[in-house]
Amino acid sequence: MSIFPENISTYGNEIDKLFWLIMLFVGIAFVISLFVLIYPLLRYSQKASPKAQYITGEKKKHFKWVVIALALLLGSDFIILYSEHDAWGQIESAPAKVDVKVGIIARQWNWIFVYPGPDGILNTSDDVIVDEQNSSLHVPINKNIAFELRSQDVIHSFFLANARFKQDVLPGRTVVRWFNLTKEGKYDISCTQICGILHSQMRNFVVVESEDKYKQYIDSLYKANGRAITMK
Amino acid sequence: MDATLHKQSFWNKYIFSTDHKVIGMQYIIMGIIMAGVGGFLAYVFRYNLAYAKASIPLFGHLSAQQYNAFVTCHGMIMVFWVGMPVLLSGLGNLLIPLMIGTDDMAFPTVNMLSFWIFFLSAVVLLSSFFVPGGAFGGGWTMYPPFSAGGYLNHNPEFFKALFSGTALMILAVALELVAMLMGGINFLVTTINKRAKGMTPFRIPVVIWFINIASVIFMFSVGPLVAGAFMLLFDNILGTGFYDPARGGDPMLWEHLFWFFGHPEVYVLLLPALGVLAEILPVFARKPLFAYKPIIYLALVSAVLSVLVWAHHQFVAGIDPRMATFFSIGTILISIPFAGIFLSFMATLWGGSIRFTVPMMWVLGFIGLFLIGGLTGLFLGSNTFDIYAHDTYFVVAHFHYTLFPDIFFGFFAAVYYWFPKFTGKTLNSALGKLHFWATFFFFNGTWFVLFFNGLAGQHRRINDYSDFSLVMKEPYMTFEKVATVSAILLILSQFIFLYNLFTSLAKAKKGVKNPWEAATLEWQAASPPPHGNFETYPVVYRGPYEYSLPDANEDYLPQSVPSSPENTITNNDYEHKSSTAPIAAH
Repeated sequence: MSIFPENISTYGNEIDKLFWLIMLFVGIAFVISLFVLIYPLLRYSQKASPKAQYITGEKKKHFKWVVIALALLLGSDFIILYSEHDAWGQIESAPAKVDVKVGIIARQWNWIFVYPGPDGILNTSDDVIVDEQNSSLHVPINKNIAFELRSQDVIHSFFLANARFKQDVLPGRTVVRWFNLTKEGKYDISCTQICGILHSQMRNFVVVESEDKYKQYIDSLYKANGRAITMK
Repeated sequence: MDATLHKQSFWNKYIFSTDHKVIGMQYIIMGIIMAGVGGFLAYVFRYNLAYAKASIPLFGHLSAQQYNAFVTCHGMIMVFWVGMPVLLSGLGNLLIPLMIGTDDMAFPTVNMLSFWIFFLSAVVLLSSFFVPGGAFGGGWTMYPPFSAGGYLNHNPEFFKALFSGTALMILAVALELVAMLMGGINFLVTTINKRAKGMTPFRIPVVIWFINIASVIFMFSVGPLVAGAFMLLFDNILGTGFYDPARGGDPMLWEHLFWFFGHPEVYVLLLPALGVLAEILPVFARKPLFAYKPIIYLALVSAVLSVLVWAHHQFVAGIDPRMATFFSIGTILISIPFAGIFLSFMATLWGGSIRFTVPMMWVLGFIGLFLIGGLTGLFLGSNTFDIYAHDTYFVVAHFHYTLFPDIFFGFFAAVYYWFPKFTGKTLNSALGKLHFWATFFFFNGTWFVLFFNGLAGQHRRINDYSDFSLVMKEPYMTFEKVATVSAILLILSQFIFLYNLFTSLAKAKKGVKNPWEAATLEWQAASPPPHGNFETYPVVYRGPYEYSLPDANEDYLPQSVPSSPENTITNNDYEHKSSTAPIAAH
């Protein structure tokens, strides 16, 4: 059993790999530190060592051990920093090619989804806005989905654990991020920034489906909104 | 004695006292009371987390608003009304004059005022539970616009807004910061100006150094937050829009102001507790503190770095992604001085002759738990992994593994260690050990399992997870119950301490001056030290940690004892006052 939820995004694996890399360094550091802490408790207990040695620790030959340990720590820190750099850039910047655009608006207490209308452009008068509890954000599988995040009222945070993605949504700003989801199914969206009494119920879903099903869904939205036109 | 005179002296002696020891104890008693409140809040929402919608024993049904308010106030109280008064003000007041060898603080009246403003701040905070709408429930970070009025209880009326949970909490925090500021100034001035003769900077015990460095960090970072808090208060009661984008403001401004203080605050809480460790380790290892001077330099470096890392709390807040690397590097760099300090502490054990007394057990437990807290910080310092882990239980478990040992293990180590000095009585050591093992065991039971809940994607501050499929499954639901049962037992374990405290206080005074055979100055005063502390001003001849000197007869040399009679500095050399008269006479 994995300690993480099932990964469904193209970049989620990078985050899981990073966790295990850090775990390797942390595990080694933990075992060594535990030894350094526990061994002297046995070896230098009052019984085993009735007379203490006079060591101030300010001489080079003693303090060098601290310096060596700190250098190793610093080294592993920078290895971590270096190896995560690409993943950070990948997740936090726009993708090379955008297949689908969608708007996500947070409000107290729901996630509103905005699909571009037949013109394929967001923030125009033909946009279809879905603001219902549990309405689900429908996205096609294996496509680069770029989304604009906005808030209508207070700070919220968009969290899709299965995609390893999270982004705070501050009122007054638009943040554009992306994901590419690789497995069909229905996954939880939660709000991770406390936003009021019903913060606990600010849940919605992402539905990842085949392109055909996705098109059917969009069509049905258009029809319901009186725009019986298929997408380009 | 005349009855009225006696009554007045009671007020002056115990309530509006200017004696640093009484003020220190007032702070600590207040801290213990507030820890009781914070602990009770934790019990209520922790119970709710394992058994949602159940009626909670001793409380009843917990509404969503109450859940949010309790989570928020638990965090606020534990940081500002327990950690700060106990570790910084409490220990600072008790220890600084005694350990630098003087009679009292530089400004005793300011000191008294500091406590009473602190007391007022606690009253304001607790009163916020009883106003219409209840206490503020937007998280201890108080992010606007949620905390900027309007959204919480759409009322634009001034007085209604003033007596809302939000405004009262902001006011309480601002008052608390003012109180701590007055204490901090006092600590610095006292340490700089009132040291005993011979107490050169590098003969000052580490705990005094660390309390002063913490005070400097606090004073440097608190200004922006007090200003920011008043702007937030104005948003609430005057209808300004500093943080409301609808009125031209920006909530990101608050995030920066808050964390510019909020992150250094972590070190303000950590340094005094590390100082406690530095005092106790050499005494019970019978060995000088490893790397005394480097430790102080490392702490000074950390003080500078502490104001350069704040935005690692905002990796996913929408700051420019390019800025994250800078703050990641800063975060990594600041781990270095603290790792150095902890390594030096552990090195102090090597080659020692270790006594497993109760204070020593708390110190070792502190180091062990903080190791987990510190190392899990490496995951979060990585901005990329933080995208996933931010605001999950992984973060919550991480900071409880740092702050719990810091505030509680640090406090208990100090209490068991200095209790004989300040009361002239001793705590029961069997009960002390039971208290330690119970606390250590149940703390791990509460928090270790929740790392896994965090990695499974469980997010914070949710009163009912039944909507979330990721955590509504095994083993995570069982982990919640394990955590809750452990947390209840953890809280109950603290009654062992209270029982020990009260029964020990009821015993007769023994007045043993130096039960642990420690070398620092406070152990040269009577137990308990009278008003004015020392019979004559002590003179200092050496550093604070001279244990197991190769050529000495005793295995320790107190700071104030000359190595040979001809080296004695006579009282006539004392510059500040004619010192043959007892100090207590004033």
